[in-house]
Amino acid sequence: MADNLPSEFDVVVIGTGLPESIIAAACARSGQSVLHVDSKNYYGGNWASFSFSGLLSWIKENQQKTDVSDEWDDWRKLILENEEAISLNKKEKTIQHIEDFCFGDQDSAEGVEEAGALPKLPVFGAAGAEGFAQESEEARAAVESTVPESTEPEKATGTEPASAREGSDAEITSEDTSSHSAALGESAGELGQTEAAVPEASAQEPKKITYSQIVREGRRFNIDLVSKLLFSRGLLIDLLIKSNVSRYAEFKNVTQILAFREGKVEQVPCSRADVFNSRQLAMVEKRMLMKFLTFCLDYEQHPEEYQDYENSTFAEFLRTQKLTPSLQHFILHSIAMVSETDCSTLEGLQATKKFLQCLGRYGNTPFLFPLYGQGEIPQCFCRLCAVFGGIYCLRHPVQCLVVDKESGRCKAIVDHFGQRISAKYFIVEDSYLSESVCTNVHYRQISRAVLITDQSVLNTGSEQQVSILTVPPVDLGKPAVCVIELCSSTMTCMKGTYLVHLTCPSTKTAREDLEPVVQKLFNVNTEKDAENEELEKPRVLWAVYFNMRDSSGIDRNSYDRLPSNVYVCSGPDSALGNDCAVKQAETIFQEMFPTEEFCPPAPNPEDIIYDEDEIAPEESGFSNSPETKPEASTEEMSSGGSAAVEKADNEE
Amino acid sequence: MSMEDYDFLFKIVLIGNAGVGKTCLVRRFTQGLFPPGQGATIGVDFMIKTVEINGEKVKLQIWDTAGQERFRSITQSYYRSANALILTYDITCEESFRCLPEWLREIEQYASNKVITVLVGNKIDLADKREVSQQRAAEFSEAQDMYYLETSAKESDNVEKLFLDLACRLISEARQNTLVNNVSSPLPGEGKSISYLTCCNFN
Repeated sequence: MADNLPSEFDVVVIGTGLPESIIAAACARSGQSVLHVDSKNYYGGNWASFSFSGLLSWIKENQQKTDVSDEWDDWRKLILENEEAISLNKKEKTIQHIEDFCFGDQDSAEGVEEAGALPKLPVFGAAGAEGFAQESEEARAAVESTVPESTEPEKATGTEPASAREGSDAEITSEDTSSHSAALGESAGELGQTEAAVPEASAQEPKKITYSQIVREGRRFNIDLVSKLLFSRGLLIDLLIKSNVSRYAEFKNVTQILAFREGKVEQVPCSRADVFNSRQLAMVEKRMLMKFLTFCLDYEQHPEEYQDYENSTFAEFLRTQKLTPSLQHFILHSIAMVSETDCSTLEGLQATKKFLQCLGRYGNTPFLFPLYGQGEIPQCFCRLCAVFGGIYCLRHPVQCLVVDKESGRCKAIVDHFGQRISAKYFIVEDSYLSESVCTNVHYRQISRAVLITDQSVLNTGSEQQVSILTVPPVDLGKPAVCVIELCSSTMTCMKGTYLVHLTCPSTKTAREDLEPVVQKLFNVNTEKDAENEELEKPRVLWAVYFNMRDSSGIDRNSYDRLPSNVYVCSGPDSALGNDCAVKQAETIFQEMFPTEEFCPPAPNPEDIIYDEDEIAPEESGFSNSPETKPEASTEEMSSGGSAAVEKADNEE
Repeated sequence: MSMEDYDFLFKIVLIGNAGVGKTCLVRRFTQGLFPPGQGATIGVDFMIKTVEINGEKVKLQIWDTAGQERFRSITQSYYRSANALILTYDITCEESFRCLPEWLREIEQYASNKVITVLVGNKIDLADKREVSQQRAAEFSEAQDMYYLETSAKESDNVEKLFLDLACRLISEARQNTLVNNVSSPLPGEGKSISYLTCCNFN
């Protein structure tokens, strides 16, 4: 498998976060040869999502403050006299103040490992999950010996359908969601309208989930480091559709918008149907709300309604409208999702309009969430890049950028194997830049918390709700906290649990910023000493707090000595949507290739006609011109195989 | 993609080391070709073949790795929502067989636990260079509860059989699961006509 990398590319991309991945895809799509590397062994950087055990290792790794010493210095020999090197970070320092807490009985989990390690235990709801995870050593032994011992764990591999069927029905139901909705959904007429039709086994007594179950079912979790949603008319959805990358992912609607008011979680009616069906609103309130929302939808047409308040805050403007306090709260915090103190009337109206416009495109809230987590999205763009010839290397740290002293342009990188790889353009994610380049850069921080809980913050008829809740700040001027609660059918947590993400721009450490909100919404006590009232709240089984660097919105001139053909991508920002990353990717791509289209649709495989396949291999010469065309990247490469692309491109 | 004339649609995903002949298997099956010195399939995401089994039209959507296996960098999302996995090794390459446990671990980690996995030893046309005996592979596949087959994409040996048998198993699996309704999630771009106004109608 140790293959050598080509030593010349058009574009080298370092980091597999969302903006880098979009750029890589756009470049490969437009015919550039792309090398895309990440120093980690996973995709996404700070946009990644992890299984439970994966997250625990991520926490451990980030808690270790040890610096990786430069034990190998030979790469300097590869730098010529008229060149200088800008070395890159070996270890990123974007995560701080990590604290994790287990509220369950951790001792009972002593020695428990992720499913597969203990195949004989009656695994909760998933016989099919048993098997291989930790068994590779034994399995490898089995491969190597001529007569493998068929040990128990190997027999229990989850690929045998019969054993999978022995699990609980509910478990199978949720698995079906994953395995068939993409495939069969294509033909299903009701695609998109059916929502969480999973028959719930709600008659059963609620099971108490223990920490050891979480550990054992760790693979059911896909825990995002960033918590974002896709606005259904946002730039990311548009790009996914335009580029056909949407076919690599599946999405679920956010099903409810929640508000936190006077110590209670309530549902916010936002679509017309919601408003009319709402039981919490009086008839007069329904009319007020409908009237106001209808106005917001085309507020530009009615400047007389708001122009007197253009210099006021949106909150002040709302007070002048015929709206009850609860309606004002809903609109300000849950619909516009803006700050009470520093959002102007116009910004508020704009935000409200955006929300309303996104309603109804895919469901009755404005948001979509990718199945298996936000971390899938960068990978989907990487797949597109690979399909168009991009070469992928995880676990591939880069020592330095090589800069030509005379022109000031970057010529090459030197990777950790000491291979020098030249390119015309370089995309580098912010966290890879060393401190010497970033001395004048002032980063903001994002406060994050992730909780695993046993119930939803709002008990409704269905267990399978995906909710967004904005908790207004206690002290005016502080940021509101965005809470996203995911149910197991989003494929991000095990059945019977909820994954709760809390996010806000940092004012202090993540725990200081977010713990007050966690305490309001959840029961963080162990069962024995909880008050009755506390028992009604969802119980937190496990929690982690951390601060993440927000490198968005940084002017490129703040980076020191940055060559003109090196472009910096930022890590995740604190906003709910993904517009910032998409905009950045498009801007950078257009700076590099002003005449190229940004992510045109990839051909539909069903439209590709292979009638030119008989052409003799000598004719094509596709891979012989890496300068102008994407280099062939899969196995058995030498020549040929180009007919498909050329044909497809002609057909667009 | 509109409503089409088929009864089943399955996503089949190929994995295995670089150079074992994954792309050749797909091209042999979908196009009946064995391109000598075949190059990368640039711009081709997956290939489609519709087959008829017992009078039912089965559309197979067959996905290739796009070269990401070369440096062990396959995206997790590649495995999601696959109905079947074809785990391929080269019978003339011991190393490709030794790597199988690692591939199985990725499957365990990322694929649905209801996925059907088939082990395929390819290149049986190169019998004189064989490094992995049929017995070893059979024993391994049995221990892992996998269906096992040896093929030659070049000679077209067992290639049809591989995909058709798989299709049959997928159909019978799907039948058993029809008790449970499919939960479709919305896909962006999938021709949804619910415009904002018709749905919410604030105006």
